[in-house]
Amino acid sequence: MKLSTITMFIAISFAVITTTALASPEKGLEIAIKADSRDKGFGNSTAQITMILMDKYGQSTERAIRNRTFEGDNEGDKSLVIFDSPGDVRGTAFLSHTKKADSDDQWLYLPALKRVKRIASSNKAGPFMGSEFSYEDIASQEVEKYTYNYLRDEELNGLDCFVVEYDPVDPKSGYKRQIVWMDKAEYRVHKIDFYDRKDALLKTLTYEDYNQYLDKFWRSNRLVMINHQTGKKTKLLFADWKFRTGMTERDFEKSALKRTR
Amino acid sequence: MITYYGCFFAIFLLLAQPAFAGKINGTLSSRLDFYPNHSKGTTSEGHSAEVKIEAFHDFDESRIVGEFIIRGDKKDSGRRITEARQAYFRIPFAEFDVFVGNRQEFWGKAESKNVVDVINQFDAAANEGKSSKLGAPSISAERYLDIGDLQLWYISNFREKTFNDSNAHPSSGVPISSAQYARKEGKNADDFALRFSGFAGDWDLAGSVFYGTARDPILSVNSNGSALNPHYALQKSIGFEAQYTGDVTLLKLESLHGTQSSLIGVHDFAATVAGIEYTYYGPVETIWDIGLIGEFQHDDRPQAAANQFGVAGVRIVFNDIADSNILFLASMDRKTDQSFFSLEATRRINDVTSVKFTSQFYNARTANSAFGQFSDDDAFTLTLNMFF
Repeated sequence: MKLSTITMFIAISFAVITTTALASPEKGLEIAIKADSRDKGFGNSTAQITMILMDKYGQSTERAIRNRTFEGDNEGDKSLVIFDSPGDVRGTAFLSHTKKADSDDQWLYLPALKRVKRIASSNKAGPFMGSEFSYEDIASQEVEKYTYNYLRDEELNGLDCFVVEYDPVDPKSGYKRQIVWMDKAEYRVHKIDFYDRKDALLKTLTYEDYNQYLDKFWRSNRLVMINHQTGKKTKLLFADWKFRTGMTERDFEKSALKRTR
Repeated sequence: MITYYGCFFAIFLLLAQPAFAGKINGTLSSRLDFYPNHSKGTTSEGHSAEVKIEAFHDFDESRIVGEFIIRGDKKDSGRRITEARQAYFRIPFAEFDVFVGNRQEFWGKAESKNVVDVINQFDAAANEGKSSKLGAPSISAERYLDIGDLQLWYISNFREKTFNDSNAHPSSGVPISSAQYARKEGKNADDFALRFSGFAGDWDLAGSVFYGTARDPILSVNSNGSALNPHYALQKSIGFEAQYTGDVTLLKLESLHGTQSSLIGVHDFAATVAGIEYTYYGPVETIWDIGLIGEFQHDDRPQAAANQFGVAGVRIVFNDIADSNILFLASMDRKTDQSFFSLEATRRINDVTSVKFTSQFYNARTANSAFGQFSDDDAFTLTLNMFF
C-alpha cells in the first residue's frame, strides 16, 4: 500500500513536471498572433444570423440578427448588430468599438425613442439577448485581451490541433481561463471550453461548417454553445456572408446608429 | 409648406411602391387603464387600441421612411389620433444628409426628464412617456465630422401638445380651450435649432441652440374659470449635455438656459437634470443587472410642476429569454409637498407578443399644487403589443 502510494506520487510529480515543461506561454502567444494575422485584410463583412435558444427541456425560441463588422487598423474591430426579431426588439441596434487594451465603447439604439444611448461595457460577462453567449463571447477577439499558454497537441474531429489556454487580461471577464482547440493547418478555432471564475467548467463552444471566402478568410456557419451548469444551449447559424461590401468607417460611427435599417 | 409637401410626398411614394426595397412592419397595441381613485364624473377605466405601421423604401441613394399611428379610445377623445410620426425623405450627400418631412428626434442624456429635448412636441394624451411624440414637419441636415455630428433644423407648422379629455385621466378636470401664442405668427411661426454632439474617451458631449415656440404651454384659468388656456411662449435657449461612462457608473447632466417671452412677461430661465446610474452586474450569483438611479431636477419655468425634484429609481434587467425588466421611479419635490411614483414592467410572451404593466401614483399635500390636480389620476395600465 505504502509502495503504491509512493509510486503514484512519483508518477503524478513526473506528469506535472512534464506538462510544465511542455506548456509554453511564448508558443501560445505565437499561435494567437499567427491566427490573428491570418484573418487580417478582410476589410468588412456582413452576415445574417439565426440565434436558437434552447432550455434544458429542449424547448426552443429563435431570434433574427444581422451582423456587420469593420476591420480596425490600429484599434480593434467595430461591429454593429441589428435585431430583426422578436418583434419587441425589432430595429434595436448595438454598436461596439473594440479596444485592444482599454474597455470597449458601446452604444445602443432604441427605436421607440429614436435614442442613441452610451452603455457601460463592464457588463461583458452578462448574457447577450438572454442567450448562453455573453457580450465578451460575441466581441471581436483581439490578441491583447488575453495572455496565452500552449498546452499540447491533440487530435480533434480528425484534425491535428494546438490546445492553447487563453487567460483574460480584464478582471471583469466572466472567465478564469479558456481552453481553445485550433487546427494546425488553417488556425481555425474548433472548440473552446470556458471555465468560470471559480475554475469550474461553465460552457463549451463548438465551431462547425467552416467555409473559406475570398480564398483566404475562414468563417464558421454554425456555433453551438452549451452551458454545463444550467443545461441550456444556444446555436448561432450564420448565412449570406458578404465581404468588402462598400461599407465605410462612417457606417460604424455613433451617428450612423439611427440611420441603420 | 415644403415640409408638409415632403411629408405627403413621402407617404404617397411609400404607398405607391410596387416592389419594396425596404420593409414594412406593424404593431397592434391594446391597452386597458384602471383608475382606482377616480373622482365622481370622471372615467373609472379606459380602453384604447393603436395600430402602428413602420416602413422604409430605399432608392439608389436616398430613402423614404414612414411611421404612422392610428389610435382609437372608447371614451377619451383626447387620446384619439391619426399621426405621421415620421414621413420623410433622406437625401445623402458626400459628408451630410438632408431630411425633408415629418421627423422624430431625441436629444438628452438623463432618465427622468430631458430638458434639452426640444425638437418634437409630445403626444402627452397618449401617456406613454418619452416615446409618444408628434412628428416635427421640418427640413434638417446632418453633417458627419471626425469630431462629431452637426445638426441644423428648420421646423415649420407648430404642433400643439395633446391633452386628455377633462373627465379622462390624467387631467386637471378642467377643459382645455384653444391655444394662444406669444409669437404673432402663432401656429405658423418657424423654429430653428442646431446641435453639435460628439464623444471623446469616456465622455459623450453635446451643445445646442433653439429659437422658436416653447413645446410646453403655460396653462392659465380663463376669466370665468371654466377652462384652461394653453399659452405657448417664445423660447430662446442654449442646451448642454454630458455623460461620463465608467465601468459601472454613468454620470449624466443636461441643462437648458434662456429666456421665455409670454403673457406673463420676459423671463430668464434655467432647467437642469443631473444624475448618476450605478449598476450591479450579476449580483448574488444571478444573471440580473440592477441599476440604481439618482437624479436632481431644477426647472424654474412656469410650466414646471415644481422648481426642484429629487428622483430615485431602480432598474432591474433579468437578462432572461423573455427580456423581463422592471423600472421603478420615485420623484419628490424639495418641500416634500408633492410626489410621484411610477412602476413599469415589461416581458415578452412569445416572438410576436409582449406585455407591459405600468402604474402611476400622484401624492400632494395641497389640492392646488401641480400633482394635487392629478389626485384622482392614479392608474394601473396593462398593454398587450402584437408585432406583425
